[in-house]
Amino acid sequence: MSRSYGRYALLRAAQAVIVILLAYVGTFLVISVLPGDPITNMLRDPQNGLTDDEIQQVVAHYGLDKPVVIQLILSLGRFVTGDLGFSLQSNLPVSQLLGDALPSTLTLAGTALLLSVAIAVVIAYGVQYLPSRWARGVLRSVPSLFLSVPNFVVGLILIEIFAFRLHAFTTIDPDSAAATLFAALTLAIPVSAPLAEVLIANLDHESRQEYALVARSRGLSQARLFARHLVKPSMLPAVAMIALIVGELLGGAVITETIFGRDGLGTVVQKAVTSQDVPVLQAVVSLAAVVFVTVNLLADLVSPLLDPRLDATSRRKATRERDATSERKLEVPA
Amino acid sequence: MIISKRIRRAASAVVAAAATTALLAACAAGTASAPSSSDSAPVEGGDLTFLIQGYDAGWVSSKTSISSYEGNLWGEITDKLIYVDEQGTLSPWIATSWEELNGATEFVLHLKEGVTFSDGSPLDAAAVVDNINIWAKGDPDRGISKVGLFPSGNFDRAEATDSSTVHVFFTSPALSFIPTLAYHGTILLSPATLALSIDDQADLAKQIGSGPFTVKSFTQGDSYVLEKRPDYDWGPEAIGHTGAAYLDTITYKVIKDTSVRTSTVASGQADVAYNVEPQEIESLTDQGFVVDTPRYLGFTDGFQVDTSVAPTNELAVRQAIQHGIDRQDIVDTVYTDKWDVATSFLQGNVPEAGDYSELLSYDPDKSEELLDEAGWVLGSDGYRSKDGTTLEFTVTPNPYVPSTQAEDELIAQQLKRIGIKVNLNVVDVSGYAAVLAAHPPLFQTSRSFVDVGTVAGILTSQNKGEDWFKTGTSDQKLNDLANGIATASDRDSRQALVDDLQQYVLEQGYSIPTVELVQRLYLLSPKVKGVTFNGLAYANFATAWIAP
Amino acid sequence: MTSLTGLVAPTERIRAAGRSAVRVPPTVAIAAVVIVIVLLWSLVPWLFTSYDPSVGDTAEKLTAPSGAHWFGTDHLGRDVFARVVYGTASSVTSALVAVSIGLVVGSVIGLASGFLRGAVDVVLGRVVDVLLAIPSFLLAVVIVSSLGFQTINAAIATGVSAIAIFARLMRAEVLRARGSVFVEASYLQGGNRLHALLGHVLPNTYKSVVALAVLQFGTSILVIASLAFLGYGDPPPASDWGLLVASGKSYATAPWLIYAPALVIVITVLSVNRISTWLRRTQ
Repeated sequence: MSRSYGRYALLRAAQAVIVILLAYVGTFLVISVLPGDPITNMLRDPQNGLTDDEIQQVVAHYGLDKPVVIQLILSLGRFVTGDLGFSLQSNLPVSQLLGDALPSTLTLAGTALLLSVAIAVVIAYGVQYLPSRWARGVLRSVPSLFLSVPNFVVGLILIEIFAFRLHAFTTIDPDSAAATLFAALTLAIPVSAPLAEVLIANLDHESRQEYALVARSRGLSQARLFARHLVKPSMLPAVAMIALIVGELLGGAVITETIFGRDGLGTVVQKAVTSQDVPVLQAVVSLAAVVFVTVNLLADLVSPLLDPRLDATSRRKATRERDATSERKLEVPA
Repeated sequence: MIISKRIRRAASAVVAAAATTALLAACAAGTASAPSSSDSAPVEGGDLTFLIQGYDAGWVSSKTSISSYEGNLWGEITDKLIYVDEQGTLSPWIATSWEELNGATEFVLHLKEGVTFSDGSPLDAAAVVDNINIWAKGDPDRGISKVGLFPSGNFDRAEATDSSTVHVFFTSPALSFIPTLAYHGTILLSPATLALSIDDQADLAKQIGSGPFTVKSFTQGDSYVLEKRPDYDWGPEAIGHTGAAYLDTITYKVIKDTSVRTSTVASGQADVAYNVEPQEIESLTDQGFVVDTPRYLGFTDGFQVDTSVAPTNELAVRQAIQHGIDRQDIVDTVYTDKWDVATSFLQGNVPEAGDYSELLSYDPDKSEELLDEAGWVLGSDGYRSKDGTTLEFTVTPNPYVPSTQAEDELIAQQLKRIGIKVNLNVVDVSGYAAVLAAHPPLFQTSRSFVDVGTVAGILTSQNKGEDWFKTGTSDQKLNDLANGIATASDRDSRQALVDDLQQYVLEQGYSIPTVELVQRLYLLSPKVKGVTFNGLAYANFATAWIAP
Repeated sequence: MTSLTGLVAPTERIRAAGRSAVRVPPTVAIAAVVIVIVLLWSLVPWLFTSYDPSVGDTAEKLTAPSGAHWFGTDHLGRDVFARVVYGTASSVTSALVAVSIGLVVGSVIGLASGFLRGAVDVVLGRVVDVLLAIPSFLLAVVIVSSLGFQTINAAIATGVSAIAIFARLMRAEVLRARGSVFVEASYLQGGNRLHALLGHVLPNTYKSVVALAVLQFGTSILVIASLAFLGYGDPPPASDWGLLVASGKSYATAPWLIYAPALVIVITVLSVNRISTWLRRTQ
């Protein structure tokens, strides 16, 4: 058992490393198609009044005159050794830029994750137990509404109402607890919708199961039944979504952080895009891929150990065939 | 030794310092509320929060050229040799006086004694020589470039003759040398800072200046806290207060979004916002806020025209555009009555600027006539074409002046009426220079200068000139004017040439000015008093205080 | 949001199985009407407004919504309703382009790896893994920044970021159909692979693919609006919905510049999502 699990773990880990490296190469190729580069752009700024020769000297200093393949090999080599290079825009080490931005984004994404789960649970509970049929129907359509409102509109409205009208938080200090809460809310709303839908669907399913009826007949209170017997089993498929949710939160951070003026990875991306700061863009995308692949790897490695239905012999087969059965979960990735 | 007119000019400026200051204060306060900025005694202490778009260019002072954004912070932590006020008058600062020798080929600068950088090292002649060398030549080995407007083509060398005297040599007359010392690019940094590698210079904490404020702490790209230097005692007399700042700290906080910056100050959560939407000014001043719209010395807002590419290689097209733009409509729609239509391509406060509004009149009939004669036929789609080519071009709004996007959209509407199709391309600050490299027919320019002599450097390709209009050396009249202005040894003969130049450039449609540029807008909370503005339209917060 | 929503499908289907007859609920009818109007806006905008979307009357700048200007006017006096209507073409058409790219490329990848299996599956599987490993919005941002800031590029970027979802769904459907009795039988009877593919696999997969495509259409409208909001689409005077919101927010004194286009986005996407949900339930 342990030997075959070891092999499985090793295989999955190797696969994960390959995906990360491929993601890096892919991103590099996409980005290096970018026209122009920020250094030359800056130097060409007429206020600098530099000649072409002078510009060429500085460009050579940054190694931007080498062929793309050479640049890729050099860049990949540095990436493997953990060197992310320097920002072309600010001359600061990329690792420092990301390190500075990471805590803010983690706080935002973490809060948003908690909020989205809370929102989803509240909606699901309401859909199950609200006394009015009409109210249940309205609540049932809330996830769909959440999925239809652009992130930026939610953010703008929250800022207008809670920052400028009600003074519940200030835009000067976007990292304050209150401001973080509202930014996280912006991010949580679209993420909570699919979570809520999964919960609702599973609750529908579970509440028709025998044990729920039995428990109810024993006089278990609604809230306890909900918490103990319905939410817990329903959370399993929701937990399986965690890697996707993390990805969504990172993507959504670009808009949310821009609107709220937070200095996180999203803002770093936004600035890097407008200034074509290739090393920074490359690093953020790679980081996102590393996070995503790692979270997935962990889920894959942990779940066979936890899931009693998967015994040692069937595990590898299960992994191989998972895609075949995953139409039940549509696009949950391997 | 000949003592130049310029020195006499400067001396009289110092004498008139008090009067000037009062005038500046009045200007600073904007409209009717003029006395408000000087009606109470300055209050010591206080922390000011200043909201700004961004500090994306980094802090390598010479590499990035100092942008409109970084310039605000640089101006508080550094000093310059010479001060220039809003009228273009030069006055002493770190240089207490200066001499112009040998037909403006040599200059002697006499420095204020006892000035120190914030690391304790002296701001003496040796330090100034180090600075001048970097401004003039940069250091290509370290990737450090020179300061763009510095007259480096004919720069020879700078020498310290004693601890407070610097002697600067040029190979030919350099009338613009002294004014350039007041430019926001020629900031004095400690020799230790100048010696750093380019990567170390990127760290703002290592930028040591001699200004009224020092960098206390910062988070790159987010917020920057400056604190006052209590021992500062060498501010320019022209701003009326040479001692230490009244404010304890200034916090520059990056808020990228214009509407958020505005609303944050409007809701009382910050003191100053940089660059607000002009159309929001009226509602802000109605609420008691002060919006300052200082003008810098330099070129107006408008376009430099590339005469080497279609369709602007045709005189008729250039002239049609010149008369097809309704400048008053731009002021009325995009701006407010604090803006003025351009009457030349030089800002009205440049002493040599003239009024050429007749050459810039809105006359769509004339434009259509010009285009008809040139064979541009109006098609069914509302646009003109010739030989199957539509009369169209792309303009890129100047990202340093946020309101230019609305302005260019409006210009596109106006030119559509005479059958010209204008496309817009919106880029960020960092992509703007690449736009110019692609030879757009019209390129929106904003450029400040201190001395009109530097204009000679942009007209043609002679002497490594920037060749704004891409005439190279083909336009003999332009060549002569550029040479004449560059080599003029007295101001009166230069004035005549500059007059000629303005007339010619506008007639030829080489330059298409729109409005007098207000590149730097300051939205001030009513509590902020005593802010002054220099000739490059930057605020000086050394004179400011916060009313209790 | 791109990839999460599909998760609901199976359980919805379970629920739908309990019902029998297909009837159109009123909300679906309303949603359909909205979609039809929006499609007409993108095809024949001039039937809906007499104003020019790019030329305004500067004397009437920043006027509030009224009978003459339903959504008010903007900072150059242009009619905001006209700008919204004329902006539909690029906002909605580009979402269609995005879905088409995701659908076609994703389906081909999914079919190939599900059907050919072996090395092809392994290689394509890693490509899909890579596409999935990068958050879809981040991927779209990087691609559009590489291609250049235009709405069509934003559409391509959005489409590329959706390839993996379609590929995965298609592959799963193929694997499922492969295992089915029909295909086994046809294969045993000497039918070739292509025949099996065309004859049995595709017809069995199209329903779930169509449901995903409709859902992805709504998502694409949002993603493209977000890219336009960030300034990664066509520049003004284009009036993509996201761009309208972005430029409208500069004018605090004219809130309709934000709310009018925002409302149009919400109602459109809500309608698309409603139809997608209904499609899934009636399968």
